[in-house]
Amino acid sequence: MTVAVSLEHREAALTHGLSRYGRPAAIGLLVLALGFLTVYPLAMLLYGSIHSTPPGMAGEFNSAGYRALLAPDNLQALANTALISLVKTGLSLALAILMAWIVARTDTPGRGVLEILITLPFFIPPILTATAWAMLGNKQVGTINLAWRWITGSDGGLIDVYSYGGIVWHMMQYATPFIFLFVVDAFRAMDPSLEEASRMSGASRWQTFWRVTFALMLPVTTSAFILSFIRGMESFESAVFFGTPVNIKVLTTQIFDMITQRAQPDYQAATAMGFASLVLMGLLLVLQGRLLRGRSFTTVTGKAYAPNVTRLGPWRWLTFAICFAFFLLTVVLPVGQLLLSSFFQFFGFYQIDMLTLEHYRSVWANDEFWHAFGNTMLLGVCGATATMILGGIIGYISTRTTWPGRKLIDVLAWLPWMMPGMVLGIGFLWGFATLPHWMPIYGTLWALLLAYMALGTPVAVRVTSGAYAQIARDIEECSRVHGANWGQTMLRILVALAWPAFAVGWVLIFFGIMRELSASILLYVPDTQVMSVVMLKMWNSGKPEDVSVVGLIMLALVLLFRWVQLRFIKRRISTL
Amino acid sequence: MPGVTLKGVGRRFGALKAVDSIDLAVEHGEFVTLLGPSGCGKTTTLRMVAGLERNDSGVIAIGDRVVSDAAADLFVPPDHRKLGMVFQSYAIWPHMTVFDNVAYPLSVRHVARAEIRARVMAALKLVEMEAYAGRPAPALSGGQQQRVAIARALVFEPEVLLLDEPLSNLDARLRAQMGDEFRALQRRLKITTLYVTHDQEEAMALSDRVVVMDKGRVLQVGAPEEVYHRPASRTVAAFFGTPNFIEARVTASRANGRDHVLAIEGAGMRGDCRAAEAHEPGDAVLVMIRPEDVTLDSAGPLSWQGTVVDGVFRGPRRTLTIEAQGRRFTVECRATRAASVGDTVTLSVDADNAWAVRP
Ligand SMILES: Nc1ncnc2c1ncn2[C@@H]1O[C@H](COP(=O)(O)OP(=O)(O)OP(=O)(O)O)[C@@H](O)[C@H]1O
Ligand SMILES: [Mg+2]
Repeated sequence: MTVAVSLEHREAALTHGLSRYGRPAAIGLLVLALGFLTVYPLAMLLYGSIHSTPPGMAGEFNSAGYRALLAPDNLQALANTALISLVKTGLSLALAILMAWIVARTDTPGRGVLEILITLPFFIPPILTATAWAMLGNKQVGTINLAWRWITGSDGGLIDVYSYGGIVWHMMQYATPFIFLFVVDAFRAMDPSLEEASRMSGASRWQTFWRVTFALMLPVTTSAFILSFIRGMESFESAVFFGTPVNIKVLTTQIFDMITQRAQPDYQAATAMGFASLVLMGLLLVLQGRLLRGRSFTTVTGKAYAPNVTRLGPWRWLTFAICFAFFLLTVVLPVGQLLLSSFFQFFGFYQIDMLTLEHYRSVWANDEFWHAFGNTMLLGVCGATATMILGGIIGYISTRTTWPGRKLIDVLAWLPWMMPGMVLGIGFLWGFATLPHWMPIYGTLWALLLAYMALGTPVAVRVTSGAYAQIARDIEECSRVHGANWGQTMLRILVALAWPAFAVGWVLIFFGIMRELSASILLYVPDTQVMSVVMLKMWNSGKPEDVSVVGLIMLALVLLFRWVQLRFIKRRISTL
Repeated sequence: MPGVTLKGVGRRFGALKAVDSIDLAVEHGEFVTLLGPSGCGKTTTLRMVAGLERNDSGVIAIGDRVVSDAAADLFVPPDHRKLGMVFQSYAIWPHMTVFDNVAYPLSVRHVARAEIRARVMAALKLVEMEAYAGRPAPALSGGQQQRVAIARALVFEPEVLLLDEPLSNLDARLRAQMGDEFRALQRRLKITTLYVTHDQEEAMALSDRVVVMDKGRVLQVGAPEEVYHRPASRTVAAFFGTPNFIEARVTASRANGRDHVLAIEGAGMRGDCRAAEAHEPGDAVLVMIRPEDVTLDSAGPLSWQGTVVDGVFRGPRRTLTIEAQGRRFTVECRATRAASVGDTVTLSVDADNAWAVRP
């Protein structure tokens, strides 16, 4: 009895002390940190867009930046961006729904494996497939066109990736698995009796699909569509590889071009464009929220269902072929191309006497590459860990506490969700440049680390709060009742129970850092290059064969992580 | 309106025979209930009639029309069977209003708009839900959802109505009320009904006939009173309530109407009981005695003595546990019957209320 009383007493005193000083201090610190990661670059972006010179230099405030946006060139870029993203999102959505249905609802052979194969391209850095497709689909020397000519004897080309179609196709390789991950669980988790009731009401299979299955999935589909559309507008790799050489401009490449590729960089216009696209994305997200308000149907009840499986008969080989073809085109073909070109003197000239290991040797001896490799690994490990810790705390506060200020924290953590890497890059560029001298962030790895953390935070928060939501509050309270304090509870119970989600989030963020190009390319200095930047530079300096070798190394890493993840974390990644 | 006929219908899942060659004929306008323990194949049977599951042996006919014949590889899909079905989860579509839910079976059949309106409102009126037509479906209580599900199943005037545990999601009071209402509706519309439940009281209260199933097979088919008082086997008997079983030996047997009267002799008791079939003297039988059929304190044709070991007061009744010859009996008596532990009592049973089955 006395023990219980004294415990209670101590706990009360502790809670009291915490709420008195600790809590406001913790919240304040968190808001400050998040503000630095999100609001600060945003504010600097706005400042840069209305100031005639970069921050720190004498200049005046004007609207020249925004007026420059109305140049035909920029309007064309905006139209291109919207059009390309719309087309690729539409096509990807159709393909993703088809494949999700095949995997979740039919008796197609090998569905479990197909699911892993279909989602694999999502984890391969875009820069890697971009280089591969540039070598596959080059009009003159692309492997596909060479094969076409060899087979048909004609001297035209079958495809040309340096085109609108090429950009769309390259983006689709990411968008399709992205949307697939969203909709496949919606297909799987639907209460089968909802569809059976429709059949019993006299509706055919086809009527049932449209009026019940699809209609029920509409909210999640819309959500996937809008997110994927935004991703498309933010995309940099596809356009810089396949658009820039043939003068197809989009917003991100236009910003990149204005800042880095011109004799006289037009910082103000680039920044204005960044800010304008940010506002655009923000509006789209608001639209999404509006569209979906109160329209998410919980079709999942507590019961575990075996979903309705459609028996396809002989057609199941066709559905198998569709999924497998997607895997072939998005993984096997690009990887094959990288392998092929890494062993030949010049890509496009595949003769026995041109076989060589020279590129492997050259990459092996390339100090610049190894330096970048080390940077990427360091940033990946530190960045993913730091982001997950930050995300874990934010997720906890927003789902598990009623502290004042948690709404603000939530909003701050969500801000980067609508910032393209390129835009965040400029914001940080200006932000770091104006910091006082005793905070020399610009030009160090810290600059990249902070940018990566900002970009990764929304994912980390989403993953961890999802995991917390699944752990019953009782478990936590039970632990506290038994005398564990807040810190112990957090560590022992929550983290112990939520660790698979943490691991999933960590790997996702690590992947994100490894493939990140658009912010890195603005923030790196020669000493802080990362792998993706080195790849792009190698590519631009005309060494596609060396790029292939680097790409293969990167791919090996991706496959290793993905394997570990699937093998040891027996939970599918449906969180992103 | 036609009935439903099943002949040798079976379904396997891998090595498991979920339904093992069932024969059943549901008459026109009849209310038949499939009753049995969890996993005995009730749902599977119902789904095969619905066409949601394919039978891999046997023939299913609705009226004169064969809808599924495994041997002839004939299978009519569910949307062409003209059946109404109410699911355990109700399966009310959450993205539609109550009106749209009920209108769906008509609108997929391209019925004219004005007619849809009239028929949907009539169906909603039938289940007293006409005031809720404009409500979004998720904003309904369990009982209301159940009514909407029934209205939806009835709106296109199906030939047969199938229901899979439609009351199991409701609380006890609502379950009884909805059950009675549904039974009244069914009588009024005279619609052939196949109903699944694992609740014996519900089955007895609602049905014209009960089909008792176990492990994929039919154990007995009969009117509720029949299966309750004249079970075909110990399993069927044990399925309703908690009957007492006494092992005994037959000393004589004679026919009496459609039954047989047996003279039996057991440990510390002797008397008469009834059975469905004739027995040879010397046969071993199990005598089933329902707790509520035992009378205390009066000697009868079949009686014996015992000691009270436990008593539970249940409001209107009292449940006593009585030990006799090392066996325990459950007895139900008036609540006012004072019985304290240790009392010696005489138990007796009417010959009509003792039923012998083969052990
Ligand atoms: N799709 C399926 N795949 C494999 N086995 C199944 C499937 N559906 C049912 N079974 C099995 O068939 C048997 C009968 O199932 P059924 O659903 O018909 O039982 P039930 O009598 O309705 O039980 P309950 O009262 O629990 O609903 C069970 O053992 C079940 O596990
Ligand atoms: Mg069932």
